[in-house]
Amino acid sequence: MGRWLLLLLSLVCLPLQAVERIRVVGSTTVLPIMAEAAKVFRQRHPQVKLTVAGGGSGVGVASVVRGMAEIGMVSRSLTARERKRLGERVELVPIARDAVAVAVSKEVYLSGVRRLTLKQVAAIYRGEIDNWKALGGTDKPILVVDKEASRGTRHVFARVVLGHPHARAPGAKILSGSNNEEKAILAGSDKAIGMLSHAWLDDAVRGIAVVVDGQVVEPSLENIANGRYPIGRDLSLLVPVDRTRWVQRLMDFLLSPEGQAIVQRSGYVPVM
Amino acid sequence: MHVSALLVGLVLFLLLGFLWFGAWPFLRQDGIASLFASQWYPFEGLFGMAPALLGSLWVVLLALFLALPLALAGAVFNLELMPSRWQGFLRLGMQVLAGIPSVVYGLMGLWLLLPLLESQLELLTGRSLLAAGLLLALMILPTLMVMSEEALHGVRAEQKESAINLGLDWNQRLWRVLLPQAWPGIRSACLLALGRALGETVAVMLVVGSMDRLPQPWYNLLQPAQTLTSRIGREIGEAGMGSLHWSALMASGLLLAMLALLLASLAQLMGREKR
Repeated sequence: MGRWLLLLLSLVCLPLQAVERIRVVGSTTVLPIMAEAAKVFRQRHPQVKLTVAGGGSGVGVASVVRGMAEIGMVSRSLTARERKRLGERVELVPIARDAVAVAVSKEVYLSGVRRLTLKQVAAIYRGEIDNWKALGGTDKPILVVDKEASRGTRHVFARVVLGHPHARAPGAKILSGSNNEEKAILAGSDKAIGMLSHAWLDDAVRGIAVVVDGQVVEPSLENIANGRYPIGRDLSLLVPVDRTRWVQRLMDFLLSPEGQAIVQRSGYVPVM
Repeated sequence: MHVSALLVGLVLFLLLGFLWFGAWPFLRQDGIASLFASQWYPFEGLFGMAPALLGSLWVVLLALFLALPLALAGAVFNLELMPSRWQGFLRLGMQVLAGIPSVVYGLMGLWLLLPLLESQLELLTGRSLLAAGLLLALMILPTLMVMSEEALHGVRAEQKESAINLGLDWNQRLWRVLLPQAWPGIRSACLLALGRALGETVAVMLVVGSMDRLPQPWYNLLQPAQTLTSRIGREIGEAGMGSLHWSALMASGLLLAMLALLLASLAQLMGREKR
């Protein structure tokens, strides 16, 4: 009886052993790089079952903690609480650099708001400035878009602009989630301001320059690379220290010249 | 019969028990006072339930208030006034509408409803309790109508005939015979619809704005706000299992379940008095 059971059990387990599974979850900023890399990786290694999903950096970290993902995508540094929870079991490996752009609706940009100081941006998010007129634009109220607290973009933006990753934003009017949702809101309005990864900027959603020490710094790839743009960040993978061979291979691929070319194509700055 | 009743009771008990268990660390710390607290800042340890609770109540009541008259009118019209060979069409249409996934309604709201509200009411953003209420009204309308129609259909032919024989006109027949007779069925239709509206997450999340603040003033439906479901949907992914934040979200879930139970028992009580 026991022998049969064992046999049955091993038969059931067989397909599980044969296929290596890698689940990648987290930041929607890192997602385009990962999705592109996964396409190539799957083609070369069909025996690996690689799934990629968004959710935000916080979700990525939480998924790794809960054992629901092998790799977390993270677009910010870890908080003290997360570091404590994760301990020494994992490490953060940067694969690209990005900027969190102060993004506005096209109409706002065209009406003349091309640059803001960090103080002005902070004042908008604190609710001290609520009309574009005060910033050189037309007489329109500002639709201030905040992001879910779990989002890496929110962390980085709030840390630099408001002084703390979890600072309150009493001036905010609505809350968005992923980069796509944020972009849709900004593009759909004619008076919105928000925070958006540099790679998402386009004609409908414009990034505006930030004034640092009297100098105007555009959110460009060049300024991200040389570190002059103040709201910059590393895009990283959160991986276990004792990772499997295939997780290591995927990381090696991302850090190879080929992987870094994908980083560049996705609109970010390579790290290698 | 008895077994299934027992089973339903057991499932309900398990569900509430699970939620209670998850919410306990939070309940022990903040307890009932959090119902009236209006600040929700998980990272500062502030878990005020009032904004989302009020938001949930508002959108559900608004949806029912908007959808019920339409559904009843539609049901009465289809059943009593429409030539019988056309009746199937409207019913089929409603059944199709009822089957559409909620995220589709959410996206429709995003692309059609929000810009319309924004331009017509001259709002900063269309995302508001009103938008969520309107969308939910559309979503519960088919269920309400199909079920009300069934209830009306169940009114006995003798009663309708004797009403006609008594010489009652259409209005009297509608208000004195048809609707009162069908009321128990309509009531359960309302309950089912309320349940769906209360639990609806994705569509609401897309259009409500998700700002965890009390409406200013409390009856202002034109501002972005938060519902219990949209808060859970936005935050449960990140909240660490077993953290206070997670526990507070479980408490939000518990609150939703209790609200549904409360509504159900209220409707039962109302029904008993009528009889």
